[in-house]
Order: sequence, then structure tokens, then C-alpha cells
Amino acid sequence: MKESKAWIVFLGLIVLAGLVAWGFQLKEGMVVTNMRNPFSWGIYIATFAFFVGIAAGGLIVSSSVYIFDLALLKPLARIAKITAFASAMGAAAMVLPDLGRADRVYNLLLHPNFRSPLVWDIIVITGYALVTLVSLYIDVLPDLFKQKSRLAFPVGGKTEDEVLEISRRLSRVAAYVGLPFAILIHTVTAWIFSTQVSRSWWNTAILPPDFISVAVASGTALVILVSLTVKGRETFQQYAGAYRTLASISGAFIIVHFFFMYNDFMLRWWWGAAHEMEPLLIALRDYTWLHLAEVVLPFAAMIMFLHPGTKNSFRGLYAASLILLAGVYAHRFLLMPSSYNSIPLSLPVPGVSGELWAYPIATGVYNPPQDIFVSFWNYVPSGVEVMVTLFPMALVLLVITLGVRYLPGCYESAVKASLKRTDEKTVSY
Amino acid sequence: MKYGMVIDLEKCLGCRTCAVACKAHNGQPPGVWWNRVFTPGSKFHQTGVGEYGRMGMYFLPVCCQMCSNAPCVKVCPVGATYYDENGVVLIDYERCIGCRYCMTACPYGVRQFNWQDGKKATEKAHYAHGYSYGWPHKYRDKQGRLVYMPSRPKGVVEKCTFCAQYVNRGEAPACVRSCPANARYFGDLDDPQSEVSRLLTQRGEFRLLEDLGTQPKVYYLPARRSGGERIERI
Ligand code: SF4
Ligand code: SF4
Repeated sequence: MKESKAWIVFLGLIVLAGLVAWGFQLKEGMVVTNMRNPFSWGIYIATFAFFVGIAAGGLIVSSSVYIFDLALLKPLARIAKITAFASAMGAAAMVLPDLGRADRVYNLLLHPNFRSPLVWDIIVITGYALVTLVSLYIDVLPDLFKQKSRLAFPVGGKTEDEVLEISRRLSRVAAYVGLPFAILIHTVTAWIFSTQVSRSWWNTAILPPDFISVAVASGTALVILVSLTVKGRETFQQYAGAYRTLASISGAFIIVHFFFMYNDFMLRWWWGAAHEMEPLLIALRDYTWLHLAEVVLPFAAMIMFLHPGTKNSFRGLYAASLILLAGVYAHRFLLMPSSYNSIPLSLPVPGVSGELWAYPIATGVYNPPQDIFVSFWNYVPSGVEVMVTLFPMALVLLVITLGVRYLPGCYESAVKASLKRTDEKTVSY
Repeated sequence: MKYGMVIDLEKCLGCRTCAVACKAHNGQPPGVWWNRVFTPGSKFHQTGVGEYGRMGMYFLPVCCQMCSNAPCVKVCPVGATYYDENGVVLIDYERCIGCRYCMTACPYGVRQFNWQDGKKATEKAHYAHGYSYGWPHKYRDKQGRLVYMPSRPKGVVEKCTFCAQYVNRGEAPACVRSCPANARYFGDLDDPQSEVSRLLTQRGEFRLLEDLGTQPKVYYLPARRSGGERIERI
């Protein structure tokens, strides 16, 4: 517990540092980022998409318990819901620093434009966060009741069995309500990108299903990671079945993701029209290392999740989850360069067939000797951007840490379980 | 009334007067350009492209295309980008939250973000002492929305307004008036008798990236010296 206090303080400090960096950005303007007019979304929106993805784990695990009758996942459901809620919070916290006028966010409530996928996304993500929160509450209700907590007021005066029954029944309802929401947040987040006819890299019907597969894979990996950390090595055998199931789910969805991704690559390559090939070439040629990361890391994680040697080992699962999350982050970052650096207004070169010439865009910042008009913007996040990104990252970890620490049934069951096992051992001696 | 523009590429000299006039009249901060002129296919402006013996060259001015099916209007989450009563796409500087979704949505690269405070940016550019440029007053449209101000706040998006502050007084936009070759025409596309409407029936006009379905209200008349080629997405 002492360790976890130091950890909480550490996370708190990082959140603070991120907020200070954001304050600096607010004061100076977004010129302190490396985004410019031709490359107008960067690591903030990539990280936002990443967070939305890893938020999937919670309801997938808890819904599976009821919808697919996977009772063995039940002990992890609470942790899963906490990670989901935390990630949704992280996504919300990440968009704010991306706004040039964060002081006017209230306009989203006063003047929402219901044709904008951004507005849809805000609605479904808020909905998702609420559903996870409610479903978490329903889940811990019996424990709160036992502890005579005031938070259990809606079931005051009932017997313990009644409360258990209520919790079980409502959990089932939450599972059915939650699953569509879980699917919606990834679909709608993908629509933010895939609706844009100007961006050939995104403008494909494969993007929403691919977002879902990446979300299931990475969201599940996060649940594995957090559960392993919280429940510890001692109880690994006890939950091995649950871990194995989650590992198989994640591994399978990595395969689905690769299938979708290469489907898209295949169509671009086969037809070979310049404006469709260009984004692919940018990923392969200009961002080779990141592209390798987005392929090799998830591939390695997939093997580890499916291989009996690693999927039954504490360390193997731990490593695989981390590797997958890193690979998915690289994948999310690569949403941007291929999209922005193939400038939509690209015209044929007179007299030369098959070649495209990109109409230069003004960067928006006069900073000699840098060119003002560019047709390629080599985007690398600035120091300030990295610092600001740390704020939601640390926030997610903080919410998870506080959640598993203060909500009943995350640590305790682990401790109790290990105690119980020692008891059994004593008896059999 | 539906305002539109016709640009005759046969007449355009590539002199960039329109870009400079636009910049000066609309007080665009350094690094911000609502209106650009380039030589398609060429690395350097005013330089021919092609193979030996088959060189060609034409100039293409690009400002906001005033799309009738404007992706920027569709994506704006707060309705800061909107059509006014004449079909002109405008941005409300007081409403914009700076999410830059519209910049992603616009296929023509015409939207410009204020990465820093306009005044500060201008100071950094070291103009001669006391020099300032741009129409000196705020301009609000009929609904009272602020669509032009001489000094831009940081964090909002801006772009060509078809010179809202002048057109409202019956004058043509600055680029049209300043063009030494008279290559630009401005008027009402709904009126079949207007100059723009009549030009559109004559020379095989085209619009940029027509196949995207944005339906721009800026039309181009092809330059014959580029072989009268249509400029479309291949
Ligand atoms: S050219 Fe771009 S900014 Fe202008 S109306 Fe079309 S999409 Fe909007
Ligand atoms: S940056 Fe401003 S104008 Fe553009 S979509 Fe966002 S709120 Fe609308």
C-alpha cells in the first residue's frame, strides 16, 4: 500500500506537469506545437483515438460474462469496467488541449451541429462513460451494502440476498445496454475520419470495423495488464482461465485487424491510382520505422497471446499486453501522416501522365528561413505536445489506480483468495 | 442570390497581385494566405513543365471554392462555419472553438488557423515602424455574426470571405478589382444575365476536384496554352 501511495503521488505530479504545459500552450497559442495548417491534427487526436480504443475492454469483458455466458471472466469484470471508465475520461481530457479555444467548449452544448461526426462522438462517449459508471456501481452494490456504506442508499432496508439478486439482474441489463454503446464509440470515432472525402487514407468503409477490431484487441490487453498488476502473481493460477480467454480474444482480433488493414492496402496497390497509392507510400517510405512498429509489435503480441507457452505465463501475458499497446499506439499515430501529407488538391502535371503535383499550403506561421508554402510537413510532436499528452495518460492511470484501490473487490478478492488457499493447505496438512 | 466567381486561366499572368491584395485588404497575419497562385506541376512559380519540345505552363489561383456541399460546414461541431443568405461560406470568429476539423475536411487547403495571436505574429515579422494593413473595422454579417476583424484572436480558423465587408456595399472582392489582367469575375450565379453566368456557357468551364461532390461556386475557364486540358483528379 505504501508503494501505491508513492505511485499516486508520482502520477499526480505528471498530471500537474502536463497541465502546466497546457497552460503554456494556452498562453502562447498552438504555435508551440508542431502542427501547422497542412498537418492540422497530430499526436493529440491520435492519442484520443487510442484512448477510445482501449476503453473497449470494460464492457466487452463484463458483457461477455452475461451475453456469452463466460462466467469465468466475472472476477475481472470490475477491473475491466474501471479501465474502461478511466480510458473514456482520458479520451475526453485529451480533446480539450487540442482545441484552439478550449474556453469556448460550452458552444458544443449551446450550438451543436448534429451533422458533425464530432458531435455524435461526444454524445456516444459520454453515454459510454455513464453506462460503465452505472454498471460499475451495480456491480459493487452488494459490497457497499455489506459495508453499510451510505452509497448503497437505493437498496436500503433490503436483505443481502435481495441486493445480490438486484445487482445480478441489473448487471445483465447493463451488459445488453453497454455492448451496443461499446460498438458505437469505435464506429462513430472512426466515422470522424472515414467520412472525410478529402482524405483518401481514411475515406474507406473498412475503417470502422478495423477500429472495432483494434479496440477489442487493445482494450482486452489493457484489462489483462491491469488485472495482472492488481491481482498479482500469487493468484495467477486462480484466474489463469480468465486470462487465457482474454488472451485468445485479443489475439484473434489482432488477426482480424491485420485482415482489414491488408484488405485496404491490397485495393490501393492493385488499382495503383496515384491519389490512392500516395498515402500508402507515405506510410511505407517516409514512416518505415513506425510502420514496422505497427506491424511487428501487434504480430509478436498475437503470437504470444495464442502460443500456449506464453499465454499461460504471467510474464508472457504481461509482455504481450505491453507490446500490443505500444504497437497500437504506433498504428494510431500513423492515422495522421499518410492523411495530411497526401494533399487532397493534387493535380496532374501537364504533359506527364500518372504523376501528381500537390498544391502547396501556407503553414500559417512566418518563421524564416522555413518555407511558408509547403507540400509536405514533416510532423514530429514538439516537447510541449509530448508533455501535454502525458496529462491524460497519467490521468487514466490515476483513475485506474484510485479505482482499484478504493472500490471493493479488486484487491480484496485477491488477498482473500490467497488467504483461503493457505487455509486449505493448512487443512490438508 | 448565389454569389460565385469565374477565373479565366487563359488571362491569368501568375503575377500574384490578387494574393497580395487579398492579404493586405483582409489583414491576414504573417504566414497566413487566403489566396494562392502557383504553377501546377512546377517546383518553381513561373517555370514551365513537361518534356523538351512539349513544355507547358499555366497558373492556378486558389482561394476558398465556396462549396455548395461544403464539407467544412458539415463537420463544424458548433456551426461556426455556415452559409450566409448568398451561399457564401463564412466563419464566425466568436463561435469557433478551434477544433480544426474543418481544415481536415476541406480538400482545397484554404483554411488557415491562428496558431498564435495575430498582433503578436505581426510584431514578429518586423514591418516598418507604424505600418499596418487590413480593413480597419470589424465586420458583422446580417445576422450579426463577426466574420472579419482587423486583428485576429489566437485559436480560431479563418479563410476567404469573398470580401464580405466590400461585397455588402456593392463592391467586388479585392482580388477581382486588383487583377491587372481582369482574369477574375464575380457575380450572381442565379441571375442568367450576369457576367459570370454568361461566361459559364461559353468555354467549357470546370471546377477543382469536381468528382468529390463539393460543388464549388468558383469556376475556372481553361487556359488554351496548357492544351486546354481539364484539370481534374486522375
Ligand atoms: S473550399 Fe474548403 S473552406 Fe471553402 S467552402 Fe469548400 S470546403 Fe469549405
Ligand atoms: S475550427 Fe472552428 S470553424 Fe473549424 S470546425 Fe472547428 S469550430 Fe468549426
